[in-house]
Amino acid sequence: MPVYSVSRRRAIALLALTSILLITLDIQGNSVVRGLRGVFSTIFEPVQSSARVITRPLENSWRGITNYGELEAENQRLQDQLDQQEGAFIAALATARDAQELLALNGIDNLADISSVTAQVIGGTPSNYSQTIEINQGSDRGLRVGMPVVNAAGLVGRITWVDNDRSLVLLANDSLYAIPVQVVNQPNIVPATTTTTTTTTSTTTTSTTTTTSSTTTTLPVVPPVSAVVDPNGITTTTQSMTTTTVDLSTVDFGALAPTTTGVIVTIAPGTTAGGPTTTLNLDDLPIAETGIFRGRGIDNAPVVEFIDQNSRFGEVQVGALVFTSGGSQSLAPRGIVVGRVIKIVERTGTSGAVLEVRLTAKLTALNFVRVLLYQPVATGAP
Amino acid sequence: MIDFVNKPVARLILVGLPALALQTTFFAEVKIFGVVLQIMLALSIAAGLAGGSENGALAGFVFGLMFDLVLTSPLGLSALVYGAAGWGAGYLHSRALENPKWLNALVVGLMSGLATFVLPIVANWIGVEGWLSSRLTKVTIVVSLSNALFSFLVVPVARWSLAIRRNQRLAPPAEVFL
Repeated sequence: MPVYSVSRRRAIALLALTSILLITLDIQGNSVVRGLRGVFSTIFEPVQSSARVITRPLENSWRGITNYGELEAENQRLQDQLDQQEGAFIAALATARDAQELLALNGIDNLADISSVTAQVIGGTPSNYSQTIEINQGSDRGLRVGMPVVNAAGLVGRITWVDNDRSLVLLANDSLYAIPVQVVNQPNIVPATTTTTTTTTSTTTTSTTTTTSSTTTTLPVVPPVSAVVDPNGITTTTQSMTTTTVDLSTVDFGALAPTTTGVIVTIAPGTTAGGPTTTLNLDDLPIAETGIFRGRGIDNAPVVEFIDQNSRFGEVQVGALVFTSGGSQSLAPRGIVVGRVIKIVERTGTSGAVLEVRLTAKLTALNFVRVLLYQPVATGAP
Repeated sequence: MIDFVNKPVARLILVGLPALALQTTFFAEVKIFGVVLQIMLALSIAAGLAGGSENGALAGFVFGLMFDLVLTSPLGLSALVYGAAGWGAGYLHSRALENPKWLNALVVGLMSGLATFVLPIVANWIGVEGWLSSRLTKVTIVVSLSNALFSFLVVPVARWSLAIRRNQRLAPPAEVFL
């Protein structure tokens, strides 16, 4: 049986107290703790790099053994998904260009104006609780703590620690992650309908047959503006009488119509002599609410908690889109896609309802990400 | 230089750095049922088995602190829990008359499960939310079983890093802790 001396018991108590002190200092954001992490990183980086080189073949072998079947199935599924979304992408592209023009006209920053750095994911999280990834770009390429990280699907997270040539990204589903967002209801979905009328006229004397065929396809509609589309361009008229013209001559509307569902235009070929006409209804303005998006760990869906309760809250629907709202204090610019509302949890009292969100970016399978070189005005933009 | 390397704290750091490198590279990618295996925790508990409660607490603190320095979670959280796990392993081990390898594996497995379960509770207590979830049960079981297997490797390593002979279970001189 071991004998505990007073000095050793004191030593153990000292270790425990030191831990508690460090926790307290770190939670308060003490600069000494940050400095300590920086010093340790400098010492540890060469060891970690060597270990990465040595263990990479083993990791690849492990992945090859355990994930091959899963990857093959996923590849097939993604190929099908890609085919389905090709048409929708073209329509979205046109809409995005339109939106960018409008934002530029109104002097509002948009994502296309912000420089970015592409980075490769070189490491996952070593913990079962915190959600982080390591990327191969750092302060040498202009990365700073707090900058938003995105991929093609949407928001991924934010930079939480930077070295010269690598950085740590706190993923959006980590419980320490929070950002102001905007929730926009999906357009009212009207099922696509197609009507085909065929008229046949036969003339006996000339033995000639004339067939006239017209097809009308109506797609779900709901953008906040009125617009008229012709094959060479789109003219959009907003309530403030701003007019924007975007060249859409490269878009094949004939090919687009049958594959596009749930987007924001109505296309009725043949109703106008010059080509299809798009009519956007001003009465279907999307409803936007602002709140705080917060991660809740790997196992729980992230949530949006609303700052203010108001009468319009009830109108938020499952499927509503969640975007970053931007602003002078926000670490991300306006307009980054975050995800969709999958559940509305009503709470009693003054705490208000909570929206559970499914992220559009798949955080468990990240290979390349893009760091937006954006810093809010409040911290001094670079 | 030789004297420095022979000091237990120096040896702990020398062992801890490559172990941490392994944790942040290989084990961060190679997951079992989606769970990251915890070699740093296994080493902390093994130090308790090899060198007793005091050494376990010291090794757990050092390994936990090193782990905290590369994580985004509050600094000192893993140091506190791993230190307690190392101390607990040493205490449990001191109750046994012999220390066969299967008993080492059992103690490492039990203490790993306990530490894995307690860590998110302490985190929640200090204000870090989201760590307590239904996934915790799976994480606890996988980490317990894997660390029990690791014990056959990490106990000898811990014994070497604390400069303790195979049958010696005494702590190093008290000056180490002062």
